This record gives sequence, C-alpha cells and structure tokens, in this order.
Amino acid sequence: MPNRVAIVGIGQTYHTGSRDDVSQPEMVAEAVRAALADAQLSIKDIEGVFFGNMETFEGIYLPDHGMAAEVGAFGKPGFKVNTGGTTGASVVTEGFYMVSSGLYDLALVIGFEKQDCGDTTAAISAAAVPTWAKGAATGAIGEFAKQALSYLETSGAKEEHAAMVRLKADRNACRNPHAHLKLGLKSVDEVLKSPYLVWPLRLMDFCPQSCGACALVLASEKRAEKIHKKPVWIADVEVVHQEPFRAGVFGDPTGKETYTQHVACERLYKRNGITNPRKDIDMAEIYEPSNWEEMNLYEHLHFCDKNEGWKLIEKGITEIEGEFPVNPSGGVIATNPIGATPIIRVAEAALQIRGDAGEHQIARDIKTAMATALGGPNWTVLFLLKRSL
Amino acid sequence: MSKESPNKKAEGSEYIRIKFDAPRPYNWSTGKYLGKVYAEAKENKKLVSNRCPQCKEIWLPPTPVCPKCKVDMGWDWVELPQTGTVYQYTYLVYPLWDPHFGEKWANPYPSATILLDNGVFYRHWIEETDKEKLRVGMRVQAVWKEDYDERGQGVQDILYFRTIEE
Repeated sequence: MPNRVAIVGIGQTYHTGSRDDVSQPEMVAEAVRAALADAQLSIKDIEGVFFGNMETFEGIYLPDHGMAAEVGAFGKPGFKVNTGGTTGASVVTEGFYMVSSGLYDLALVIGFEKQDCGDTTAAISAAAVPTWAKGAATGAIGEFAKQALSYLETSGAKEEHAAMVRLKADRNACRNPHAHLKLGLKSVDEVLKSPYLVWPLRLMDFCPQSCGACALVLASEKRAEKIHKKPVWIADVEVVHQEPFRAGVFGDPTGKETYTQHVACERLYKRNGITNPRKDIDMAEIYEPSNWEEMNLYEHLHFCDKNEGWKLIEKGITEIEGEFPVNPSGGVIATNPIGATPIIRVAEAALQIRGDAGEHQIARDIKTAMATALGGPNWTVLFLLKRSL
Repeated sequence: MSKESPNKKAEGSEYIRIKFDAPRPYNWSTGKYLGKVYAEAKENKKLVSNRCPQCKEIWLPPTPVCPKCKVDMGWDWVELPQTGTVYQYTYLVYPLWDPHFGEKWANPYPSATILLDNGVFYRHWIEETDKEKLRVGMRVQAVWKEDYDERGQGVQDILYFRTIEE
C-alpha cells in the first residue's frame, strides 16, 4: 500500500496575456512563494523540487538552465518534466510518486508557461514528427476543431450549446481573481458573433495563450496534518498514454485524446468504487481547451451518456450553483498558461475541498473532487482528491 | 543572431527581440520502417504500411513493435488503398507557419482524417477549399506529385486527396 499524500500548500500567480514586468524565472518564483506561504513553510523544508513547462513555446529549451534559484531547486534533488499539455499534471504525479514511495516527506511541484515570448502554435506544429506528420500538424486548434466538428455532426448539439458553455466559463472566470479572460459576456449571440478561426471553432470557442505559474506543496501522511489544518488528500492518480498519429490503440479509430480520457476514468472509477460519478464526486475541474471539448468530455468522463453532454449545459447541471459543478474557476478556455494549466485544475479542485476558493467557491460542502488533464502525445492524467481518506 | 545590439529600453516594454538571419539545418532520419514508405512513395507512388503477425492490425505509420500486442512486427508489408472516406475534417482559416520547413502554409486549407478503403485511418490535406462542399463521408482519392525528381518527401509526395464521384 503506497503512503498517503496530501496537498498542504497552494499558490498561483495571476494569469494574463503579457507579463513584460518579469522574466520567466521571476514569474515562477511568485507561485513558489505563494505555495510556501500557504503551507507556512520555508524552501529549506522542501526535500525535492519537480517542475514542468512545455519548453520551446517560449523559444527556450531547458528552461531549468536558468531557474534553480527561483524555484528553490539549487542543491536539491528534482527535475523538470515535459509531457505536452499534461505537463502540469505530470509534475503533480511525479511529486505524488516521490512522497508516496516514502523517499521524501515534502515535495514542491511547479508548472509554468510564459506565452508572451514565442509562437505557441508554430511550436506545437513542430512537435509533430517532421518525417511523417507534416500534413496532420494543424496546431492544437486544428485537432480540437476536428473533434468539435464530429461532436456537432453526431451529438445533436448546436452552436448555441457551445456558446452556453462559453458563457458559463466566463461567468465563473469573472468570479476568479486568478483568471485571465474575463469578458463579461451577457448573451449567446455575443459568442456567436465571434469570427471562425478553424471551422467550427470561433475565436471565443478556444483557450487563450496565458502567462502564469502554479505550485503545490505535497506532504506525507506523518507531516500533512501538522503543516496545514485542511490538507487535501490525493486519493488516486491514473495515467494513460497513446500516440496521436498512429491511430488505433485501445480500438480508437482516430487517435483523438478523448479516448485515453475514457480508458483512464474507467480504471479510476473502478478502483475507487465510483459507479455514478455525478453522485459519488462533488465537482470537477476538467481540461477543456474548447467549449465543444467540454461537452464531449462530459461524455468521455461518464458524467452523462453518449450524446447527452450538451444537455447538461442546457439544464445548468454543471453551473457553480448546479447539481454537479464543472470548472467553477472558469477553466482552460478562460486561462491557459500551458505548463501550469493542469496543475491549476488540481489546485482549484483542492481549494474547493478546503472551502478556500473565495468568490467562486461552490456553496455546497465539497468532499470529493476530480481534476483532469490531456495533452499532445495523447496522455491523460486524472486525479481524485478527498478531504479525508 | 542579430547584427544589432538588443534594443532594451529603460522605460516601457522589457521584451527583447532577437532576429535569426542564418539558416539552421536539421537532418532527420526516416529509419528502416518509414524509409520503406518513402521508397515506395518515390519509386512506385504507393502508400504502404506493415501488419502485426499476431493481431493482423495494420499500423500507419509503420512500426517495429505492435503497440497493442507488444511483439516484433517483422516485415509484412501491405499496399494501402488510395481511396477513402473523410472521417473528420477541419478547415484552417488562420495563417500557419511550418517551423520545420520555414514555409507559410496555403490558407485556407482543409486537413482531414481519412478512412482508407481497407479500414486504416490516415491524415492528410484535402484539395477542396470550398467549405460548403466539405462534409464527413465525402469520397476522396490520393493525388501524387507526378515528377519523379520532386518526390522523395515520403507521404508529402501525395499532394492532397481529391473529391471523387462514384
């Protein structure tokens, strides 16, 4: 039986499109300081530092060349992780493995991205194998457009439903002091007036490029309750890998990311006795790069039956005040500092369990929460968080 | 690197901009398996891939190890049909730079996941650029570069998939 691991410190920067006031390491240090302050610990207490960034998006390879001091890794064990879109979730998984194994009692995990420095879509296209997948490299947006189109053509959802998802995200983001885009959207028509980027995705249908960082302090069972009066336990983690360009693994014909979500959550639910996710889990922070993807993911994460995702939105079930709130933070479509994005899902879910989310706190008592991530190499990472184990 | 010194101002923006004006060549290897695909495309205008000896699944691009069975794939090559059905597509209307080749791609252009007629999925560009004429389920066929000397770019030897009437 692995040792239990708790989140005892949570810190994030504010997120925005441009941070010309700080360098990349300085920005990361803001989140590290916030997490340590939340845990009331000094960097000297931390035994291992694990950090992640979708390197090359900033035109920087090996960002760890220049930030050992800022992240507190100088003279300590630890390393950098890059697994594409899931990077921020992979660093949490890494910290979880290290503390759970008993190697460390206290680990610091950090995710960050400073997208005002480079051309993210060009960098994503460069991630495709140049000897094979040139014709398939459309950046992240092209891939999610294909999924959106499939969803539009097969599920019964209309563009109005996607717009309703966007409105929900914006209403929530406007309540979150850390969110990037706070548009103050009032109506479905406002979203439907937004121009198409990649059919059928509109400008407002897709996540922004944000700058920001998020850090968590993870503690072993023997230390957790002494450090924080409201530790949040990482009850379980599931990771599934797939290749995007060699379709067919797990029987998925298109190689789209959502299939790994489906496989990963089946395993996670089975291990944890979850038969009805909307009853057994209190809320979720999911990784939805687009509003269309959010409806698609409701189905793949078994929050509802197939072709019913858009009905959850129509009925208001996933609103902050709804029966099963999803992304009360505003989600990825409002805030996307890529390497930090999945760790923010974990951080926001943990804040909801603690009751510390502030203006976007769900009014009901949240005891169990789920955080998800998906990414370019078709990784899926899922977390189940609990107030008590 | 830039011939000018970095333009860092005391006030306002703290960004510096660096201009690269020398080419930076990269050399990628196709390897044994993808090399076979490149050779068949250049020499014979054929699209090929390999089949697992155990589960008989054809993997595209070809692979030395079956992802599902985890066994050695051996050297069992199959010629793939060059006709298929559009399974998913997208239509890019923003300009995209290809950082590997330094080219700006045609805009707009449609990219699709195509179900080849033997059930293998393949991703490529579509010739049709009229969005109103694009649909899931449309029938398409590969169009190759005709000039032998222009071929040698692997699957990029297929220019695009053209709509066919049946």
